[in-house]
Amino acid sequence: MFSLAEGCGCVSFRGGRRARSMGDDSSSCRSSEIEQEVPKKLSKRLLNGECTMKALAPFLKFWKRDTVSMTKAERTMKAAILIQQWYRRYLARMEVRRRYTWTIFQSIEYAGEQDQVKLYNFFNALLSHMRETSGRPSSERTSRTASVMEQVFSEESDEGGGVDETALPKHSRGPDLEFPLQRKDIDLLIEAFRKKKHRLHPKQVAQILKEASQMLKRLPNINVATTSISSQITICGDLHGKLDDLLVIFHKNGLPSPENPYIFNGDFVDRGKKGLEVFLLLLACMLAFPGGVYLNRGNHEDLIMNSRYGFIREVHQKYRHNAERLLKLIENVYRWLPLGTIINNRVFVVHGGISDTTDLDMVRSLERDKYVSLLRPPVNEGASPAEVIDKVEWKQVFDILWSDPQSISGCVANALRGAGTYFGPDVTATFLSKNKLSFIVRSHECKPGGYEILHNGNVITIFSASNYYELGSNKGAYLKLCGNSLDRQFVQYTAAVSRTRRLTFRQRVGLVESSAMRELHSHIMTARRTLEATFRSMDLDQSGFISISDWCYAMEETTHLGLPWRMLKDKLVRTDPETRRVRYMDTFDVPTNKVGRKSDTQTVVETLYKNKRSLEAIFKILDKDNSGYITLEEFSEACQLLGKYMPNPMTQEQLVDICRLMDINKDGLVDLNEFLESFRLAEKSLHEEEHTLAELQAT
Amino acid sequence: MARKEEPKIQPNNDLEKKIIEAFEVFDHSGKQVVDVREIGTILRSLGCCPTEAEIQEVILATENKEATGNIPLLNFLPYMCKAMIEHRFYPASAEMLLAAFRYFDKEQRGFLTKEKFAQLMLEEGEPFTQEEFDEMMQTALDPVTDTITYEYYINQLMVAPRDVYNIADEVELERKRIEAAAPKKRRASSLLRATQI
Repeated sequence: MFSLAEGCGCVSFRGGRRARSMGDDSSSCRSSEIEQEVPKKLSKRLLNGECTMKALAPFLKFWKRDTVSMTKAERTMKAAILIQQWYRRYLARMEVRRRYTWTIFQSIEYAGEQDQVKLYNFFNALLSHMRETSGRPSSERTSRTASVMEQVFSEESDEGGGVDETALPKHSRGPDLEFPLQRKDIDLLIEAFRKKKHRLHPKQVAQILKEASQMLKRLPNINVATTSISSQITICGDLHGKLDDLLVIFHKNGLPSPENPYIFNGDFVDRGKKGLEVFLLLLACMLAFPGGVYLNRGNHEDLIMNSRYGFIREVHQKYRHNAERLLKLIENVYRWLPLGTIINNRVFVVHGGISDTTDLDMVRSLERDKYVSLLRPPVNEGASPAEVIDKVEWKQVFDILWSDPQSISGCVANALRGAGTYFGPDVTATFLSKNKLSFIVRSHECKPGGYEILHNGNVITIFSASNYYELGSNKGAYLKLCGNSLDRQFVQYTAAVSRTRRLTFRQRVGLVESSAMRELHSHIMTARRTLEATFRSMDLDQSGFISISDWCYAMEETTHLGLPWRMLKDKLVRTDPETRRVRYMDTFDVPTNKVGRKSDTQTVVETLYKNKRSLEAIFKILDKDNSGYITLEEFSEACQLLGKYMPNPMTQEQLVDICRLMDINKDGLVDLNEFLESFRLAEKSLHEEEHTLAELQAT
Repeated sequence: MARKEEPKIQPNNDLEKKIIEAFEVFDHSGKQVVDVREIGTILRSLGCCPTEAEIQEVILATENKEATGNIPLLNFLPYMCKAMIEHRFYPASAEMLLAAFRYFDKEQRGFLTKEKFAQLMLEEGEPFTQEEFDEMMQTALDPVTDTITYEYYINQLMVAPRDVYNIADEVELERKRIEAAAPKKRRASSLLRATQI
């Protein structure tokens, strides 16, 4: 396929610049001639390692032939370049795979967050819809869902009065902490968490949580931090339950103290397996080293997020009998966490970011404890005064916890996450000058190097959970601000995991990639029906094949993930080399190896189930005539509403199926027990699946 | 500074689609520009095998003259389409690669020592950085003998779809077919359209 007249891509050595080689130029174009000379069979044998001197002859001749025109140096250079350009191409392909793997993880993660927000919009709509259509006094209606809030508000007063709360029962084997906490207790705690042998006794967990919320209550909405005593301060980003990373940070940078203050910028829990340990350790440090620890709330310091992203499950697993109580205490800590910190009146540290409407005065003056969960929508009028939440104020809090910076100017709603905004460099500049601040430090987004500097240095993203998506996916980092000028120093690290030996770049990429492909697969499966229908409509000759372009179009139109489908296609479907069409049904084949991270994607039923705490409330809402039973009509009406908010609305028959499934005694009606039971069964099978996966992972 | 919103470039054929997609993976802002430092990776991800010198050429030819440091799709797309049709940066075959290795293996032992190979790669041609070399050694080097058995190693590097060139050929063929089918008096205008980048 070469045309000798045109350049064949070999570099010419004339003056280092590539010159188009002409046919009669004896140097570079030999390669094309040789290409055509070598018969196909020979090349195959060469590749298989069957080399003989005879086979090599043409090549040897090739090099020797040029003794007249090419010096040895030139030949050396040419050969070296050939090897180098080949290797660089190989490396580049790895890099691209790493890039799009990252995109996959990120877009699925954000799509998931979006679902979560949509789900809560649905609950809100359900609430208002039901309230309107029924004749009941609104207080009873709202009371059910508000009751969750109320349960939390009430202080625990029945602690078994008279008994010394801090004394542990004799048989307890976990670490014995003494309150008020001191350095020695922190050391004990770290030892206990690291060794994983005996859990901290639930009474002590509760004590830490209670004392923490007492301390946090006294803090303002925006912490005030200063480096006047310490001359430096360390800022850490998302930890997401990665205890190893936190221990690496403490090891490298020392434990907190007034001389070594830390700011932890939210998202302590969810996704990682040790959210509870991380959270308790941070709170304990805050109690033991006053003035040494500043905590900011993140969007994951929210029980609703926790129900989806794993923290609630973790608490149930670790403290089976006390989970509900502990979660209530945790929720109380969440609502009292400050929303941000300002250092030396110059640096604004907040979890998400800002928006063009961010008003620090409003943020400082609002009652932050009203926002038990950020995702609870503002309750409408007709509810009791204590529950009315101002929409403008709500947006303020949402924006600082959920926003992301963008490189283009302006401020737009963050459609990807479903909440908060994308804010541009102009918004940052205006905000900083209006509030007389120098720069913003935020977290919320995972970065390959653990940190990123944007908006001409005005915005820094710091992310402290290494290996976040998968082993080898990214480094973690923390930021030190030193001296009066607050010089920035970034420290990167990767928490070592004992079972891995040093992986090559290719192996790391492969590992992360296969994990991403599994996630992507799960996501695709939730959209299977729509996809299949689209594919079939494109397959005009019913051959089972459609063009590459059609397939890419269908994938993007259905999933809206914004992924480079052309690049991914070889991983998802088989392509016929002659017609270059893809066999679209391959899209739904399961990826072969099973070990890896469990996917977060869920069906509607699973999503509903995850919000177990609200299930009873849902039931009562659905049961419009308060008969104690839900009829098919009531249920399908609610699900039609659901359809507007969920990405893959169910068909009428799917709804009927679900309702029938729930009607265990087959009397045509679903009562509360059946309703709850069907979700319990769903959870049981989910747990079994996790158990099997965990077993496979352990091998 | 406010710039007029530029309409998104639409692909006209499979070749353009493939090039645009590779480009977009590195377009973080969504404004259809990429950083110059990513061009090499983009070219290679398409299946091309340029040398560093050739990459410099591409940058010179396609860089945004007003704001250096980035490359707009507007310049890149036509340049690349032409390059692919002309089969530029075509990856050398495995035989050539093997010949290159053999050239350094004077005694034809089937392997190269680490020292020799390091000296070559770090000093000759378009030298590797220490990082690139270390990364290569992780897979290429046989730790027991401390040598590079290049015949086996070549197989590892062999993922080489020449898809983009095949697509380019088809697009060219199609275009020529259309041109040939058109009546003579329209040829001039269609020629103009084809060269109008």
